[in-house]
Amino acid sequence: MTAVFVEKGLALIGAIVVGVTTTVQLRNDWKNNFLDDQVTKLLLGLMAFGCVLVLLAIFGVLGPS
Amino acid sequence: MATTIISSPDAVRFRYDDVDHAYHEQRENRLTGIVLFLVSDVVLFSMFIFAYCYLRSSVPNWPPITQGGHQLPRFDTAFAEFNSIVLFGSGATMHFAMESWKHTNRPAFFRWLIATIILGAGFLGGQAYEYSTVSITWAGSTMGAAFFTLTGMHGFHVLVGVIFLCILGLQAQAGVYTGSKYFGLTAGTLYWHFVDVIWVALFFLFYLW
Repeated sequence: MTAVFVEKGLALIGAIVVGVTTTVQLRNDWKNNFLDDQVTKLLLGLMAFGCVLVLLAIFGVLGPS
Repeated sequence: MATTIISSPDAVRFRYDDVDHAYHEQRENRLTGIVLFLVSDVVLFSMFIFAYCYLRSSVPNWPPITQGGHQLPRFDTAFAEFNSIVLFGSGATMHFAMESWKHTNRPAFFRWLIATIILGAGFLGGQAYEYSTVSITWAGSTMGAAFFTLTGMHGFHVLVGVIFLCILGLQAQAGVYTGSKYFGLTAGTLYWHFVDVIWVALFFLFYLW
C-alpha cells in the first residue's frame, strides 16, 4: 500500500463526507436571506464545488495524466 | 416590530428575549464591513492569480523548462487532494459550530470549534511538509515564485484564521457572546469559509490545471 494510495483513499472518503455535508447544509440554509446567510450560501456552494474538484482529481478526470 | 421578527420561522437568531434594535443596526454595518474586507481580499488574490495565469501563458511548456534543459516537476497532486479535504472539512466543522451556537448548544459549539482549529492547524502542517519536500524554490523559477507567493499568502490567511478562531473560542468561553449577539462568531465563520474557497482556486491552478 503506497502513500499515494492512502492519501487518495482518505481524500476520497473525506471528499464524499464533506461534499454531502456541505450540500445538505446548503439546502438547509437555502431559505435564509440575511446578508451573512447569502454570503455563507455562496461560500458553501464553492466549497462543495471544491469537493467535486477533488473527486474528479482522484478519479483522474482532472489533473496530470 | 420585534413580535413580527420573533414570529418568523426562519429567524432563529431573533427568538431570544434580548432583541436590541440598536445592536442589530450596528451589526448590519459591521457585516457590510467584513463582506467588503472579504471582497478586497478576493481582489488581492485575483491580482496574483492573474499574474500567475499571465506567466503561465507566456511560456510554451508548463511546468517550464529550466536553462539547464530539464522540465520542472509537477506538484504532488495526491497529497494536495488530502490536504484540501482537511481544509474543506474544517469549513464544514466551522459551519456546524456556528449552527450549534445559534441553537444554544454551547458544548457542541466548542467541540466543533476545536475540531476546526485542529483541522486548520493540520492543513498548515501539511503545507509546511509540502514546502519542505517540494523540489522547486521561490527564486528558482516563475513557477516557484508564483507557487510560494500564492500558497504562502493563503497559508498566512489560514494562520490568521486559526489565531482568530482561538480568540473567538476564548471570548465565547468568557461570555462575550450571547444567544442573539454574536457578530464576532459570524465574522470568524465567514472568514474561515472564505479561506476555504480561496484554496479551491489555488488547488485547481497549481495541481489540476
